[in-house]
Amino acid sequence: MANDMQPSAKLASKDVDIAYGHRLIVENLNLAIPARRFTALLGPNGSGKSTILRTFAALLKPSTGSILLDGRDVARLSTREMARKFGVLLQGPVAPEGLTVSDLVRQGRYPHQSLFSRWSAEDQQACDEAMVLTGTVDLANRMLDTLSGGQRQRAWIAMTLAQQGDTLLLDEPTTYLDLEHQIELMKLITMLVAKRGKTAVAVLHDINQAARYAQHLVLLKAGKISAAGAPLDVLSPDIIEDVFKVKSVVFQDPVTGTPMCIPL
Amino acid sequence: MIRLLVVLIGALALLVAASLAFGDVPLGWDELYRVLARTGQAQMQSEMIVWDLRLPRVLLAALVGAALATAGTITLAVMRNPLAEPGVLGINSGAAAAAMGVIVLMNDPPVGLLQVAGFAGALAMALAVYALAWRSGTSSLRIILIGIGLSSLATSFTTFLSAFGDIGDVQRALIWLAGSVYDANMVKVRMLALWLIIPLILAFLASRELDLIRFGDHGARSLGQPVDLVRSLMILLVTLLSGAVIAVAGNIGFVGLVAPHAARRLVGASHSRLLPVAALVGAGLVVAADLIGRVIVPPAQLPAGIVTGLIGAPFFAYLLWGHRHGK
Repeated sequence: MANDMQPSAKLASKDVDIAYGHRLIVENLNLAIPARRFTALLGPNGSGKSTILRTFAALLKPSTGSILLDGRDVARLSTREMARKFGVLLQGPVAPEGLTVSDLVRQGRYPHQSLFSRWSAEDQQACDEAMVLTGTVDLANRMLDTLSGGQRQRAWIAMTLAQQGDTLLLDEPTTYLDLEHQIELMKLITMLVAKRGKTAVAVLHDINQAARYAQHLVLLKAGKISAAGAPLDVLSPDIIEDVFKVKSVVFQDPVTGTPMCIPL
Repeated sequence: MIRLLVVLIGALALLVAASLAFGDVPLGWDELYRVLARTGQAQMQSEMIVWDLRLPRVLLAALVGAALATAGTITLAVMRNPLAEPGVLGINSGAAAAAMGVIVLMNDPPVGLLQVAGFAGALAMALAVYALAWRSGTSSLRIILIGIGLSSLATSFTTFLSAFGDIGDVQRALIWLAGSVYDANMVKVRMLALWLIIPLILAFLASRELDLIRFGDHGARSLGQPVDLVRSLMILLVTLLSGAVIAVAGNIGFVGLVAPHAARRLVGASHSRLLPVAALVGAGLVVAADLIGRVIVPPAQLPAGIVTGLIGAPFFAYLLWGHRHGK
């Protein structure tokens, strides 16, 4: 834990409480997200993963405490400034009817535009690049509601990439994807972190996938951090039983050397 | 897009010309041409009918339609509900209650006062709905629910007044509320045009905001939109637009719902294209409704508001039908 609060934290919560109405979901959270790493938030349903992610994205206000981005309180940033720094993909995002993929991706440029500014070459380049990275170029003119779940998810990710923020916050990005697209997405996040210096935080359900692709795991239980650190240090049968209430054995993945958990 | 605009403007021009030519006293196309071209060969009577009676009426109808369609387009986007129209903000019922109050409680009020009261009622209702829906931020659904609640409250107040008011007063109020452009004149047209121009321009400038707000509160906010601010400004625009329309023309229903849906069929979801097309469609609808109302059962004149309902309801059913059975 002490190791976790090192100054290279990109994003951190300091003594944060989060409540829905009077119900306290997260209490006294001190969580640090390392810069230029892929961090996975893991935990059972209702453990507060999504709530924490939304609070990092400033969509929820902590009832006490503060969220720090590069050491500065995000409450001071305007909504627009936030959107230039964070690309956020929510769970089950809703798009208005009648949008094409390229319409959707173009929305990602909103925080970079002002009332009278026109669509610029820079905007176009950001969209083109986002669509190349997510493999959605061929879908550009397709209507969003005619796409498969996986294609649609990639279009949404393209939109968040077009924002060109250096931090990505992804809430269960793999949920509706088949195995191939799940792995493709994990590789895309890994690449963005390694090659583009992005900081990525994703809520994931698959422990083994998280252990394989993420460099930093945070295990949450009832709004509190049970363990945080590199997969090899964190994933042990004891912690998994504590967090998920499942007995398991942990092997080393024969392909990547990362830990692999098999429930008993 | 350009071609579509040309077609729509052409269709609107045709409707306007037909409205100028037809009515109690049909003029015929050649006589209309002589009047419009100011050849000096037209009859005095035709000149008067076109310039003093029909032109202000047609222009007022077009303005009313454009404003209602724009307000409807904004409401659809902000409320994210395909059935939401400016009425859900309580605008219509607020205006109705205020106007009924003035008509019944005052002896023979001037038309100007009636219009001011109608607008004030609309504004007060929209503000009340918004204020009651505010709970450290608003939500579209809360606005819709509170709007429906307050609307029925205002409607029962109107009914109460009409039950106890003088029968003549009540009838005048009801005619006004039915929605009509029959007592148009150029002063009215100019005033409404001046009033509408700024909200219409602002709505068009806000098309990017409208595109984005439909993504839901969290979605729009994570893309950098101050959602509550945008929503309140848009509701204010809607109130300015439809409040003014109700004040001069009463309740002309369905245009605010049908025009945006039709426009979306024509040009898709982007508001920079949607808004002008919806405005043209709306203008055409009200001009057509007024024309039909004048010629369908002469010499009686059906108020445009009734005709838009007659056209609007089946059209709306058709839209829903298409919706259910995939475009």
